[in-house]
Amino acid sequence: MSLLRRHAGEIATILVVAASLLIPRFTDDPLPISLANQILIAITAAFSVYLMLRMNLLTFAVPAFMAIGGYAAAIAGLQGGVTDAIALTALSFVAPAIVALPIGVLVLRLRGVYFVLVTFVLSEIVQLVLFETPQLTGGSNGLVGMPSTTAFGIELADNASVLVLTAAVALAAALVTALVTSLCRQHFAAIEENEPLAQSLGLVVWHYKVLGFVVAAGLAGMAGFSLVNMLLTAHPTSFGPGSSVNYIAYTIVGGRTSILGPVLGSALLVTLTNLFSNQGQYSQGLYGLLIVVVVLVARGGIVGTAMALVRRVGGLRPATAHLATGTAAPRGT
Amino acid sequence: MLIVEGLDVRYGGITALRGVSVRVDEGETVLLVGANGAGKSSLINAVIGTVPSVAGFVRFQGRDLGGMTVDRRARAGIGYSPEGRRVFASMSVLDNVLAGAFGVGRQRQREAWDWLCSVFPILAERQAQPAGQLSGGQQQIVAFARAMASFPPLLLLDEPFLGLAPVWIKNISDAIRALQARGTTILMTEQMARPALKLATRGYVMRGGEVRREGPVGVIRDVALAEEYL
Repeated sequence: MSLLRRHAGEIATILVVAASLLIPRFTDDPLPISLANQILIAITAAFSVYLMLRMNLLTFAVPAFMAIGGYAAAIAGLQGGVTDAIALTALSFVAPAIVALPIGVLVLRLRGVYFVLVTFVLSEIVQLVLFETPQLTGGSNGLVGMPSTTAFGIELADNASVLVLTAAVALAAALVTALVTSLCRQHFAAIEENEPLAQSLGLVVWHYKVLGFVVAAGLAGMAGFSLVNMLLTAHPTSFGPGSSVNYIAYTIVGGRTSILGPVLGSALLVTLTNLFSNQGQYSQGLYGLLIVVVVLVARGGIVGTAMALVRRVGGLRPATAHLATGTAAPRGT
Repeated sequence: MLIVEGLDVRYGGITALRGVSVRVDEGETVLLVGANGAGKSSLINAVIGTVPSVAGFVRFQGRDLGGMTVDRRARAGIGYSPEGRRVFASMSVLDNVLAGAFGVGRQRQREAWDWLCSVFPILAERQAQPAGQLSGGQQQIVAFARAMASFPPLLLLDEPFLGLAPVWIKNISDAIRALQARGTTILMTEQMARPALKLATRGYVMRGGEVRREGPVGVIRDVALAEEYL
């Protein structure tokens, strides 16, 4: 029972994402299908941000790894003739994960703002590489004309089956995220709260950080594959460094303390962006503003605030309990 | 078991330790007495590796700890209970204690938890509660149990009695006796030396980053009395 309660967020997330597989049964209107596609891709990418935030690491590298995953799948389709959806999904996870491993070993020694800066630079570098290697990536033309993906020999070409694939990839990403954050729950929590203390207790902090970074890169790569598959093209502009702000906004607005956060945040913000699509050019500025407001007013985001409300209404814990966090002790040397 | 020889530690331009030599033999409980700024915590931090030393060496069970990372020293068998009861406030009591046994198998974690609950019944009562919600004394128990969760041969206690009510001082003292009965070697620091003197076998008096006196607990008591630590 306590196991169920502890993993309530994970279970709800997996059920919600799995349910999205059924959307094409209810509608074939291209607008809701396109919206669902965008939301599910956003969720997959936001999982990457969420996983890193569990260790108090803010990453701007999501577009970089999305690009690596997306281009790896596109190149495999174009040059290798690979069309199997499962193989391409696996490739889009593994390729960025392999790239992330040595980078992680190098940069995860950096703390706080230095790590953030390096991840941002990484997105810029990947963007540059995409433009400067036209033989491989098509340069500013991008890659087009990939063969349609197939699953068990069935061609996934129409709108509905593209959505089913996107949903299946998002489901796989949800399962991976839930698995990793559950297995490393205590370790991530200790690193998030007090890294030096965790280390002094014998935790090999950088092992977990590298693990998280590599998996987060893989998750982003899966999102990149879904995006390329939906757009039928791999293009540098899909992976602009500025888009990293969006994925961070989805996660922080939704709530960084639960895996449901990136799901709700993505659904809400992508829907809103579509509603106000004629002002789309302002969306990144508005997202930035939204992050500032959420961090100032409701640090837990939507999910965290909702949980705090439930707790207060349910009276599960006395309101003063949070104040009893121990007195500050004078420092000896 | 622990040999510190000629240790120098500097923070920027400030010398925190100068030529400090301390030894702790197997099964002993050794007390470091001194005022604020005497260098007690610097010595503990140099042993666990969070503070680099510029001269001298630290040897634990015959191994030189120089160049070893913080986590490797902990895994080598040095338990540490930080001053100021630093618990993971948002984590449950159970998770806090198990955090002290990272890298230890599930079976041994279970055993450690059961033993710790028999010594500190409060742990079992509050196991699901976030540690940040506990009182100061209870948090000290959690930090304590966490340091013990891997049954380290050497336990470093930094100011375990600081700011605690008398009832908790007695409770912690009982707990330290239970650890002594298990054969745990202990190095503890204390400004408020009176309760700690009842537990220790030997001690060192520190001032200005140097060891001023060492000897059996009776000698330390006299020095501490003269220098008004009691």
